[in-house]
Amino acid sequence: MESVLALRGLVLLRDSVEWEGRSLLKALIKKAALGGEQVHILGCEVSEEEFRAGFDSSINSRLVYYDLFRDPLNWAQTGEALPGGPLGALQAMCERTDPGPVTVALDSLSWLLLRLPCAALCQALCAMSRQHACRGGGPAAGQLCVLGLLHRELHGPGPMGALSSLAQTEVTLSGTAGQASAHILCRRPRQRPTLETLWFSVLPDLSLDLQGGPPLESQPHPDPHTPQVDPASHLTFNLHLSKREREAKDSLTLPFQFSSEKQQALLRPGPGPATSRIFYEPDAFDDLDPEDPDGDLDV
Amino acid sequence: MAAVATCGTGAGSTGSVVAAGSKNNVTSFQRRGPRASGSDSSYSRLVSIAGTRPSVRNGQLLVSTGLPALDQLLGGGLAVGTVLLIEEDKYNIYSSLLFKYFLAEGIINGHTLLVASAKEDPADILQELPAPLLDDNVKKDFDEDACNHKTAESNIKMKIAWRYQLLPKMEQAGPVSSSRFGHYYDASKKMPQELIEASKWHGFFFPEKSSSTLNIEPCSLTHGYIKLLQFIQNIIYEEGFDGSNPQKKQKNILRIGIQNLGSPLWGDDICCMENGNSHSLTKFLYVLRGLLRNSLSACMITMPTHLIQNKAIISRVTNLSDTVVGLESFIGSERETNPLYKDYHGLIHIRQIPRLNNLIYDVSDVKDLAFKLKRKLFTIEWVQDNYLRQERNIYPPGFSYLLKQKDSAWGEGSLQHSTFLMSFLAKETAFASRLVRHSEPLEQTGSGRALQAAGPRLWRDGRRQEAPGLLVTPP
Repeated sequence: MESVLALRGLVLLRDSVEWEGRSLLKALIKKAALGGEQVHILGCEVSEEEFRAGFDSSINSRLVYYDLFRDPLNWAQTGEALPGGPLGALQAMCERTDPGPVTVALDSLSWLLLRLPCAALCQALCAMSRQHACRGGGPAAGQLCVLGLLHRELHGPGPMGALSSLAQTEVTLSGTAGQASAHILCRRPRQRPTLETLWFSVLPDLSLDLQGGPPLESQPHPDPHTPQVDPASHLTFNLHLSKREREAKDSLTLPFQFSSEKQQALLRPGPGPATSRIFYEPDAFDDLDPEDPDGDLDV
Repeated sequence: MAAVATCGTGAGSTGSVVAAGSKNNVTSFQRRGPRASGSDSSYSRLVSIAGTRPSVRNGQLLVSTGLPALDQLLGGGLAVGTVLLIEEDKYNIYSSLLFKYFLAEGIINGHTLLVASAKEDPADILQELPAPLLDDNVKKDFDEDACNHKTAESNIKMKIAWRYQLLPKMEQAGPVSSSRFGHYYDASKKMPQELIEASKWHGFFFPEKSSSTLNIEPCSLTHGYIKLLQFIQNIIYEEGFDGSNPQKKQKNILRIGIQNLGSPLWGDDICCMENGNSHSLTKFLYVLRGLLRNSLSACMITMPTHLIQNKAIISRVTNLSDTVVGLESFIGSERETNPLYKDYHGLIHIRQIPRLNNLIYDVSDVKDLAFKLKRKLFTIEWVQDNYLRQERNIYPPGFSYLLKQKDSAWGEGSLQHSTFLMSFLAKETAFASRLVRHSEPLEQTGSGRALQAAGPRLWRDGRRQEAPGLLVTPP
């Protein structure tokens, strides 16, 4: 379970109105900060004070905060705003990171997605990890972790799908009966993606409390998969032969196997049409010309 | 396809003949089978390029896609000058594998490669290519694969009905020799470094090449596509793949591989928005096709069509490409639990095959194809093969079987719609145009052949041929 939380690359935290993800984001930030990584935060949706609430002072001093909430369009014209708007802010964050394990938290990615063209945002996100890898010199996958908070209801399937295809890990928050759950989909480069479900809760001091399984009181859908499909169930023919039938079938000769009996039967003048007679009764649809029974005279 | 000026082939040759037939300017009067001629022989109409062969149907020059099974489905291979579009599966596992097979085939054959990607560095892509399977050490791998497969069925006697023999057999993997058209690759090993270094390749990594963020007006190509097209055009021109600079040395094929075309990383928002810049991708494909038709090159593009929101664009893209193959993996879908598909990893759909200098399609009859990535090999099989192995001994030939697929009329059905049975209709089933009633009901004792034919209106009489326990009155 802990290995799943060793998140690298682009991690999407998809929350919704019922199950908010900012507390999980903060819990992951705290975990990263306690682990000795550098943490950079781009704050867009909530103010800095509100975001920093809940962290204790040691962690707060380690967080590098870029504030886009107070003055996103830089109307106050103070010198401290990051140039270039949100994209420029992402670029600047990337440049200011030192080599080594870094966690970048984007609060929130939805805010950026609503204001920037999606393609540009995707390119910027990929560029971040790549440039960090170039600078750091270590393996690209192990160094940078970008946590992006994404609100599911705000976006259509297009941007969500595009970001999902870029992300290495997708954490979808949902839950039942007061217990939050995270469905974690890990895409590793050349392996099958793995899906895991964790039940967790975030304690007031922003540490993560993982529970092993779902809560005892309710189990709404234990098996999301449909029951096993039996293709032979709705057929008009019988797939299961009895012993007698199987024997009868086995004793058949194939009609086009030219065996010696067949050859003899063909060579021998047959008994003629005595065994089978054909009765023909024309019905309303038959248009039979008695002089031209085959209907192929071009008259 | 490419009208190429002959470059100094022998003066004494019947020049006009050779000029007309050089390289792949194929007419229907081509001599089949290229003469292996290094330089100028007066009778060589097709200069033989390594790794190519003419199609047996119309002499079109073909290259291998890297998967012999896929070559067989596409009618022998990928035609030079055309585009093979792979619609990616949802997690882009198998399509990237096909992409790598394509590039690996180019390296083995000595073709020049052009790798374009917006996500991964082409140098990294080339490091991950699968290793080719060679003759000596591969035979026992195939044998042990085949053994595992056959032990379960050794006790089932197989009776083959005639029609089943007509169905195309998927090419089984076999040991490969280096002069073969298509090669087999071991997906678990990487291609040796010296082969990669010995090959000639050009890489286009979009984030490095994009210098400015221009403001492009709508309905035109996005910046990334313009750059890519210019790059391809430069390579084709400089290296002489279109015959502009006469190649003194042996002619070669340029294999172009473009990965994840249409994804947002190329700057195209076709995957993000429904009504984005919807003409950029289609224009790109149009221009690319023009570039390819005039040069000795073949292109494979992988595209995440599952992300494209506007379905009309997918159909336009399909029309603008020549060959379109779709991959659908079972990961995470409900088909994973279907026992029909339990041995496979996904379905492969051949969506379009080009009509090149032809009036008819060259489509294979087999529709339900599934692929499976074993530890080493990527195989494509007819889905029914799996089930038929169990079902083959249920339907004895010599009887006719009237099928009714749900909600369709009584009749023979089509290969596409029936899951099990179509191959088992016996030859004696005749569709007489007149109503035929038999003198007495046939007694199915299991011996002898069917002497009478079943007419199409037999069912209306309420009398049905009763094969022993095999036709059940439909509910």
